[in-house]
Amino acid sequence: MSVGARKWTTSMAILGLIALALLVVAPLLLIALGARFWVNIIAEVMIWSLLAASVNLLLGYTGLLSFGQALYFGMGAYGVAFGLDKLGLSFWPSFALGIGVGTLTAAVAGVFAVRLTWHYFAIITVVFSLIFYFLSVGWKDLTNGDDGMPFSIPPVFVFDGLELKLYDLTFQYYFVLVVVGLCYLLLWALLRSPLGLAFRSVRDNDRRAGLIGLNVYGIRYVSFVIAGFLASVGGVLFALFARYATASYLFWTVSGEGVIWAIVGGVGTLFGPALGTAVLIVLREELSIYWEHYLLVVGVIVILMVRYAPDGLIGLLGRLLAGGRRREDASAIAKEGRP
Amino acid sequence: MTGVVLKTEGLSKSFGGLRAVNEVDFELLAGGLHAIIGPNGAGKTTLFNLITGLLVPDTGRVTFLGRDITGMKPYRISRLGLARTLQIKSVFDGLSVYDNVWIAAHSRVGFLHPLRPVASYRATASKVEGLLERLGLQGSKDELAGNLSYGDVALLEIAIALATEPKLLLLDEPVAGMSPTETRSTVQLVKELSKSVDIILIEHDMEVVFDAAEVITVMNQGAILCRGTPDQIAKDQRVQEAYLGAPEEA
Repeated sequence: MSVGARKWTTSMAILGLIALALLVVAPLLLIALGARFWVNIIAEVMIWSLLAASVNLLLGYTGLLSFGQALYFGMGAYGVAFGLDKLGLSFWPSFALGIGVGTLTAAVAGVFAVRLTWHYFAIITVVFSLIFYFLSVGWKDLTNGDDGMPFSIPPVFVFDGLELKLYDLTFQYYFVLVVVGLCYLLLWALLRSPLGLAFRSVRDNDRRAGLIGLNVYGIRYVSFVIAGFLASVGGVLFALFARYATASYLFWTVSGEGVIWAIVGGVGTLFGPALGTAVLIVLREELSIYWEHYLLVVGVIVILMVRYAPDGLIGLLGRLLAGGRRREDASAIAKEGRP
Repeated sequence: MTGVVLKTEGLSKSFGGLRAVNEVDFELLAGGLHAIIGPNGAGKTTLFNLITGLLVPDTGRVTFLGRDITGMKPYRISRLGLARTLQIKSVFDGLSVYDNVWIAAHSRVGFLHPLRPVASYRATASKVEGLLERLGLQGSKDELAGNLSYGDVALLEIAIALATEPKLLLLDEPVAGMSPTETRSTVQLVKELSKSVDIILIEHDMEVVFDAAEVITVMNQGAILCRGTPDQIAKDQRVQEAYLGAPEEA
């Protein structure tokens, strides 16, 4: 690794540690400051960042643009809701059921979707999510359609009469932090493994990948299923966080938001999409109070980012840290320093 | 190694009305450096594409080391030990030079571990280092492949192909776009490689071909025109006609 890239990696690692430390102390700090509302906002950002991470694994690391990741998010949400509400399961089995349902949906859809690439792939992923959206809106007996399925949540852990419940603001926050943290740990390990390198090889040049003996279809499929897994964990967490599941989680505009968060944050980097999610959700929380058409602002930001900083917010940050280097150099370093 | 390495029988491929490859019977015996030459549009690259599975032939068969590989997917053919470089250089632009060769070397292992770090594979690492050394790419191993000079990309592509431990290597214009110095060293390298692996070379640079190749096959208009040693080919009337056109009747 060159000196510039090493410097970049080190400063990013330091920034990452600071961010992690802040995330760990945030609830204590915010509650002390009387800003309980923000504890939930941060938890929400962490949850939604998994949807962006799911988009990112496909777009940034495997070269597939999916506009349908909300499907697996939504199926995860329905899965956990069914487990708790209809099947009367306790917490962890429902949790596992949600992830299982979402991932399985991706495993089935993936068989067909990854036969295609580019816009054909984008279209088929939208179509799948629309099919399931209309099914779940229409099948009222099962899903309550647009009204959604509210449910109550049993305790997560019980020790000697001490119950830890998600209704406790602080416990819920740390629960989300740990689950999301484990997902990122998994993603980090994945991206530095041979499989992760194979993903990036397919992203860069699928023809060459085939010519060196990589099964491009198989690799895209595995990536698709893992991306589905990430989205379903996000969906499960969000259903638990909101205490209900609804068809609107499956809608393609939700998928679109995931894509926008990922692109604005910077695809092809581990934490770029999380940064994008954070910035755009905070923007939404702040702006939507004053102006109902706040999405126009988001639109302008997206256009500006794509035009002037295609490597996203994390790329901008990298350039800032690289200290006034030429843009090409800095973004090359940013790329090189990628996990 | 002796025997037939590669054999095509009645291989044909048409694009629309154009017969790009027409009933080609080609046989490669083990040992030595073989070259395929021919004017533009003679069907050389299409023949390579048919052999390596990038195109499926309309008719005919391809046999590699006694195995029928007609219509097989490129990755399966690669795993049997057939590697190639492309006319338009093709590497993984967004990966470092090291990673480019690493993933190719690892593809022989077959299993893509989802959690074990790439850096923990000692044997693969030393293999990759060795290949980079051999091709003179050691100095730019952390460079993104997309930032390399054209000549280095061509060398990297050869390194990638070699990392797959091929039994047969197809090189499609490996020295195109290289400086005279790079060309000389690459030709030297290819000659050396041909001692340990069978090579078929497509090349436009006649100096290179007549210097390096032991056997030359000439293609014209999708078919094989003739085959022989460099001396025989240089004297062949039909070859001169194919390149220069038939002499006008006086």
